[in-house]
Amino acid sequence: MRPFEYHEPKSLAEASALLCALGAGASIFAGGTDLLVEIKEELRSVSHVLNIKKIEGLDALSFDKAEGLSFGALVTARRIETDAAVLRHYPNLATAVSLLGSIQVRNRATVVGNICRASPSADTIPPLIADAATLSIHGPTGERSVAVEDFFTGPGRTVLKAGEIVTGVHVPPPAATSGKAYIKHGRRKAMELATVGVAVSLDRGRSGCDEIRIALGAVAATPIRARKAEALLRGRAIDPALLAEAAEAAMNESTPISNVRASAAYRRDMVGVLTRRAVGIALEARP
Amino acid sequence: MTIHQKPHTQDNLEDGKRQFSVVGKSVRRTDTFEKVTGLGKYSGDIELPGLLYGKMKRSDIAHALIKNIDVSKALALKGVKAVLTHRDVPRILHYGSPHPRSASCTRDQYILDDRVRYWGEGVAAVAAESEEIAEEALRLIHVEYEPLPAVFTVADALKPEAPLIHDNGLDKNNVMPPVVIRRGDVEKGFAEADLILENEYVLGRPVPGYMEPNVCACQWDGNGKLTIWSSTQTAFMVRGILAEVLGVPYNKVRVIVDHMGGGFGAKQDLFQHEFLCALLARQTGRPVRMEFTRKETFLGGRTRHSGKIRLKQGFKADGTITARHARIVLDGGAYGSHSPGVTTVGTSALTSLYRCENVDLEGRAIYTNTPIAGAFRGYGVVQTYFALDLQMDEAAERLGIDPAELRLRNAVRTGDLAPSDHPVVGHGLEACIRRGLDEVDWKAARAATAAQPGGVKRRGWGIGCEMHGSSAYPGIKEQGNAIVKMNEDGTVTLLTGTAGLGTGAHTALSQIVAEEIGIPFSAVQVVTGDTDIVPWDIGAFASHTTYMGGRAAQIAAAEVRRQVLEQAAPLLEAAPEKLAIREGIIHVEGANRSISLKEVVSPKRGMPAAQIVGVGTYSPTKSYSFAAHFAEVEVDTETGEVAVLQVVPVHDLGKVIHPIAAAGQIEGGIQQGIGHTLSEDYVIDLTNGRSLNPSFVDYKMPLSMDMPPIRTIILEAAPDPGGPFGAKGVGEDPIIAIGPAITNAIYDAIGIRFRHYPITPEQVLNALRAKQKEAA
Repeated sequence: MRPFEYHEPKSLAEASALLCALGAGASIFAGGTDLLVEIKEELRSVSHVLNIKKIEGLDALSFDKAEGLSFGALVTARRIETDAAVLRHYPNLATAVSLLGSIQVRNRATVVGNICRASPSADTIPPLIADAATLSIHGPTGERSVAVEDFFTGPGRTVLKAGEIVTGVHVPPPAATSGKAYIKHGRRKAMELATVGVAVSLDRGRSGCDEIRIALGAVAATPIRARKAEALLRGRAIDPALLAEAAEAAMNESTPISNVRASAAYRRDMVGVLTRRAVGIALEARP
Repeated sequence: MTIHQKPHTQDNLEDGKRQFSVVGKSVRRTDTFEKVTGLGKYSGDIELPGLLYGKMKRSDIAHALIKNIDVSKALALKGVKAVLTHRDVPRILHYGSPHPRSASCTRDQYILDDRVRYWGEGVAAVAAESEEIAEEALRLIHVEYEPLPAVFTVADALKPEAPLIHDNGLDKNNVMPPVVIRRGDVEKGFAEADLILENEYVLGRPVPGYMEPNVCACQWDGNGKLTIWSSTQTAFMVRGILAEVLGVPYNKVRVIVDHMGGGFGAKQDLFQHEFLCALLARQTGRPVRMEFTRKETFLGGRTRHSGKIRLKQGFKADGTITARHARIVLDGGAYGSHSPGVTTVGTSALTSLYRCENVDLEGRAIYTNTPIAGAFRGYGVVQTYFALDLQMDEAAERLGIDPAELRLRNAVRTGDLAPSDHPVVGHGLEACIRRGLDEVDWKAARAATAAQPGGVKRRGWGIGCEMHGSSAYPGIKEQGNAIVKMNEDGTVTLLTGTAGLGTGAHTALSQIVAEEIGIPFSAVQVVTGDTDIVPWDIGAFASHTTYMGGRAAQIAAAEVRRQVLEQAAPLLEAAPEKLAIREGIIHVEGANRSISLKEVVSPKRGMPAAQIVGVGTYSPTKSYSFAAHFAEVEVDTETGEVAVLQVVPVHDLGKVIHPIAAAGQIEGGIQQGIGHTLSEDYVIDLTNGRSLNPSFVDYKMPLSMDMPPIRTIILEAAPDPGGPFGAKGVGEDPIIAIGPAITNAIYDAIGIRFRHYPITPEQVLNALRAKQKEAA
């Protein structure tokens, strides 16, 4: 493992200033489950590690029926996975988090870390995009908020500017007639990177599908929305033929690559199958 | 002290009435406490004053001459104590796998050569004050290569224009002369057949994936004696080959193996780092430890042999097999390692399992510029029985015979010639198949899958069978030894050379000793893994540790028992043959007189106790264990995913010593076998020989969450006269039959015959679509 310098900023302001001063070689450390592996495997060149666990106020988790779900940058995947409110109101997020790594990994890993790593296959991102979640960002010039959907610019790349730190996530409250689902396709049940991930969040409302958002993981340079598929289903009574049409649209919206995990053609096929299944589950779900 | 050797007599078999007090019971394993508390010492735990850290520079080209290596910058780095290249190490051709001069291995490796033959081969080694400095030093070593043409497939390696990877005087790139086995008259057999099937089977490239990466630590003392702690299955073989290559006598090399985190056959080989670590320690005068990263266990480890098998068989309408013709071509990788042994054992396995009088078999192993294929649980038989048992299923369908029934009709039986040319003992295979058919209610299960309505998810049941020899005889003439010492308080110390790679073998051996003498399990302590102390042993492999090492321990224990009874006889005023030892008490049979064993052996009036020691030596020939695996799968016809829903493995072990440990072996083998069949494949870039998935991120072994329920059934149907109390091996068997069972179950579910492994979801989906298209 290449040596690095270790820092423990006590405040967001200090962390932000350090990030600005240290430049591109500095990385934020929360759970460390990705970062340390990447340093050891020499996948990432890191000269400075900033442990943000000494900063107060980043480990809060709250849910309110009017406000929705909010959690800080230090909230672990395991905490989200086992939180009663998340399990009840955000089954798509709960499922996705429960499929991340293993229990040992989830006890350390943070959901914000999973987001900031910006892997196209990250499990927690599609359900947050489907649920229209936003990120709170602290930077040298103050606070700003960015939709998760707009956060990514490429594999491992985000809109974060120098000195900026993601401090938490906000997920809007679920509608009374919401339905949510996440399906991960992988070669095994744990310790697995998604070959395809599909998240659905919908509001049945009066039409059966008043509103719907579909997010796809591991089939493009970033997690993406399947907007054409959504448009086909929004406001319509969904039958199998319509669902098949939407699944086809989602396949066409994906731009997967071939690698040792799966071919592009297979990934695209799975987008179709999993979109159909995930919408089906979300339609059946009773909050 | 006396030496007893009683090979293949009947007197160690149970008579059916014998009551066992220790054998057959799942006593608490001797290694459990240390393992679960973290107190167990592995080679990677060795800390010594002044310890240096060794690292190896590996090639990033698959085939090249080394024109120059510039190590000056590395040597100049603060904290670097030594750098070795091919210019600095003895240039001695060695076998790589330490079975010197046996027929199983090939003498084709140098510690470091001026040429590399696969991507990832070691070209230099560094010893430094810290791992970080050693890693930094590796980056400072500059190697200038002159690329050579390279071949990454067997097909390419056999082309006329292919480069010669080793100049061994044989046909191009053959590791050894072909293994040819002919019995009977194959042409006549095919002429008599009502049905002839001929198929090609394609074998993937799984790796053992042991938990503990290869590691060793070396220290030289002031008298020029080397101590090496190493994670190896073959401590005495390591001693021999290191002594020869380093030019020191055997008594100046001490190999210590305490706990091990698995080996699965691959750690029979001697790896480059073991030589280099010893040389770095000698040059620096300081202890050195070298440990592989996980990635290095892929790059510099050993894989199962991939390859192709062309199998042709003739069948009579009643299912009788009239002829079997097979051509097996295995990819040996860049060095021979166990290619000759694997090819021989895999090829000869096709003479048996299912009876056939007319066989014509030829096996070859071919060098390519890919990672080295070596010994791995199942040793060639995984490959050949995959082909054989898939074709049996196909034949059953074509002949209109139930697949299990076809196997029963052809199952090898007592007196048949086994692959080793020995007569098979007992009806083990038949017993396994019959028991399994009852257990899963085969007829009903198959009828249910045949009648299932069309749906997205389809279920199927399949069967696979296997037999595997305990011991590597006749490929290697083996020997196991044990020393049993009676202590003056009535406890016993067993000294055995067999390695404990995590199987629980030392517990089994202790149970055998306790049983044979007639003392409680807790009265036996076992000393292992130090070549200066324990008697010579060939190593832990070939399913022979309990079979051979256990028999040697039994012979030694019997000698101790004899001496104890000789001493007790005058005290009890009875002839020794009238005495029996139970739970440490010596009884006169038929009389109400007894004395404790402790009283007999403890010092009297200040006089020291007599030294009671038994030595057991055992050279086995061969026994065969049998198994039938039954698997139920569910295929998702929209995603191509195959889920194994349950497995019922039925194994005949002759006599089970430790039921839980034996079942653990079986479950572990099934886990590896599921991986081989459905997900594990070490992938090489065919344009340059680079490994594409040298990590557990993309080399997918099934984990506990993926494991189906397994109902393990152990039979004692065919005890072997060569094993302790009739026991036979179990290590290799469980990985063999599961692949055919799953593959045949997939056919039962979706009507598609796959003739390769691993079978990926994408391939299943494509095959389903092709079938649909054909139907339409």
